[in-house]
Amino acid sequence: MSTLIVIDQPPYGSWEGREALDMAFSLAAFDQPVSLLFCGAGVNWLRQGQDAARVQQKSVERNLAAAPIFGVEALLADGQACLRYGLAATDLIEQASITDFGPELTGRFDHVAFAG
Amino acid sequence: MIKLKTLHLLNKPPEHSRQALCLSAVGPEDGLLLIENGVLAVTQPPQIAAERWFALGPDLEARGLTGLISEDQVLSFEGMVELTASAENVISW
Repeated sequence: MSTLIVIDQPPYGSWEGREALDMAFSLAAFDQPVSLLFCGAGVNWLRQGQDAARVQQKSVERNLAAAPIFGVEALLADGQACLRYGLAATDLIEQASITDFGPELTGRFDHVAFAG
Repeated sequence: MIKLKTLHLLNKPPEHSRQALCLSAVGPEDGLLLIENGVLAVTQPPQIAAERWFALGPDLEARGLTGLISEDQVLSFEGMVELTASAENVISW
């Protein structure tokens, strides 16, 4: 049974995305196949060069870079949203790959769940 | 520091409907300060004279957006307080 968790909210402004990330890591810890898709303003989670020290948070970039180590199968970014936010493939953390959000993608998963 | 009639404080990301509403409400004597998720607007810069809009440095750093805006437009927390105090009134969107 495979799960796709979709994050469409930007990082740092709210906790919903972090909770979704915890859910993905938990599934992976119990050997359940899980991938993360970032779309809309959510693609900003994957931007390189984040430093959240001065807003008293931990950088989500480092969390996400560790996702494959914890068994999260893929970090996917919606191509249209990347364009809108000026993100080229080289601006994303190296573990991420660009894809297109649509039925072809969601059809590959048994479950699709949104953050928040 | 520039004299502002109204300072618009925007913390909503570009996809939030209030961001468009805020940008349409910025008058010629007003200023705009992007904070929190609002700083994501630097990827789609607002059509406002550069000396009248700013973004909060720590929020830009958190999101890896520091290089996308001129240094003159980046404010510290102290700069934000100063700008807020200099405006005749403030709208928090």
